[in-house]
Amino acid sequence: MLPAEPPQNGGYMVAAYIVAPVILVGYLVSLVGRVRKAMGGR
Amino acid sequence: MTAGDAARTLTRRGVRVSVVALLGLAGVYVLALGYTPIEARQGVAQKIFYLHVPAAWSSLLAFSLVGITSALYLWLQDPRLDRFAAASAEVGVAFSAVMLTTGPIWAKPIWGTWWTWDARLTLTLFLFFLFIGYLALRASVHDPAERARFSAVVGILGMLLVPFIHLSVYLFRTLHPQPVVLKPSAPSLPPEMLRTLLISTLVFTLLYVGLVTLRYGLSLAEEARDEAADAAR
Amino acid sequence: MRDALRLALVIAAKDIRAELRSRTALLSAVVFAALVLVVFNFARDPTALSATDLAPSVLWVTFALAAMVALNRAFTIEREHGALDGLLLAPVPRGSLFLGKLLANLAFVGTVEAVTLPLFVLFFNVDLAAALPGIIGVTALATIGFVSVGTIFSAMAVRTRFAELMLPVLLLPFMVPPLIGAVQVTSRLLAGRPLSEMLGWLRLLAVYDVVFVTLCTMAFAAVVDE
Repeated sequence: MLPAEPPQNGGYMVAAYIVAPVILVGYLVSLVGRVRKAMGGR
Repeated sequence: MTAGDAARTLTRRGVRVSVVALLGLAGVYVLALGYTPIEARQGVAQKIFYLHVPAAWSSLLAFSLVGITSALYLWLQDPRLDRFAAASAEVGVAFSAVMLTTGPIWAKPIWGTWWTWDARLTLTLFLFFLFIGYLALRASVHDPAERARFSAVVGILGMLLVPFIHLSVYLFRTLHPQPVVLKPSAPSLPPEMLRTLLISTLVFTLLYVGLVTLRYGLSLAEEARDEAADAAR
Repeated sequence: MRDALRLALVIAAKDIRAELRSRTALLSAVVFAALVLVVFNFARDPTALSATDLAPSVLWVTFALAAMVALNRAFTIEREHGALDGLLLAPVPRGSLFLGKLLANLAFVGTVEAVTLPLFVLFFNVDLAAALPGIIGVTALATIGFVSVGTIFSAMAVRTRFAELMLPVLLLPFMVPPLIGAVQVTSRLLAGRPLSEMLGWLRLLAVYDVVFVTLCTMAFAAVVDE
């Protein structure tokens, strides 16, 4: 038996859709920073 | 090609591939938000699925490769294998972190609880701890050969632990059936959902490749720098 | 093959003698276990949870923590006496070396468990009589599992800077399947359930032991040799 309307839980989706790229982009940026440091601050 | 040149090439390539993957991720967002239907029972939150499942795939891929390259390292003693294992472990931590954050955020609206000891979340938690232990060990051992050997042992043991964790959770669940209010994925996915999921998985795989390449290049750069510092002394 | 095993026993006997000489290690592990039991007793609400519901978990958390204390002390002793380096110079097969250390650690942890169990019965008023052989059996199975991985990890950890921290960080994920199995079997034993309900878990424990003892024996050389 399906409910009449899907539940209003968009907030959770937004939270996840923000957190995931923040982690991934953040990691990428930290890697680039470490590379710059290892290559003498180029 | 010197180590420094190799480092430069690989880091540049890694960044390029990663950026392309991230653009792909933006495309996935468009698909997930505009193209896929809203699941009737789970609502909009179900769309977290398009991030959570590919992140799980990437974590598992990262972990398996750490295990396999560890075993190969003990057999072949090639330092490239050790470098790859270290890179894959660190990238794996990032993807596991995505899983461990998106998982509870998804679970709360669907199952009403932030955490559940189901097979997938439990396994990811353990992968995360194994990755962290692996990286902590690497950080504590200074001799490169010793570090490579120790890491390889942990990598292999860790890889073999995974089926036991899986079995334990499975045995536990079959004997303690949890009331499942809503199943997270419908038995048959509509084509738009399936396509988006596959594209997202490809994007996450590409991101894995880009990040590992970059991380590998970073190892080379650090080794080159250390060698130069030693030579200067 | 028989020589290798005999060698392992000789190594184990040497380690055990060394541990017996400095009894502080054993005492500290036992006192620790007793403390944990006391804390658990005061922490629970006797009206909310019956002892038999909580007992298996309490027992196994205590065993797990005490085992870590024991493993820690064991390699601290070894580091202080540098016993391992001498053995490594001799052409001792590394597998025997590992098995010897494993047996010594098992004797050590087993003793702590043997002393903890009566304390547990005392503090928690649990009737263990009928289940005792089963409890001893499952304790042996689970302990072999996590002490084998603990032995190889302590050999590694002792060479790192933060040895006391490195061992638990590495070991904890590996303790989970033996612990889950042990708690499940113990709780069924205490409830007097038939053996058929425990077979799945017992099989898991047995396979875990075989896989990890074998693997750690093979991998020990990679840890101790240059």
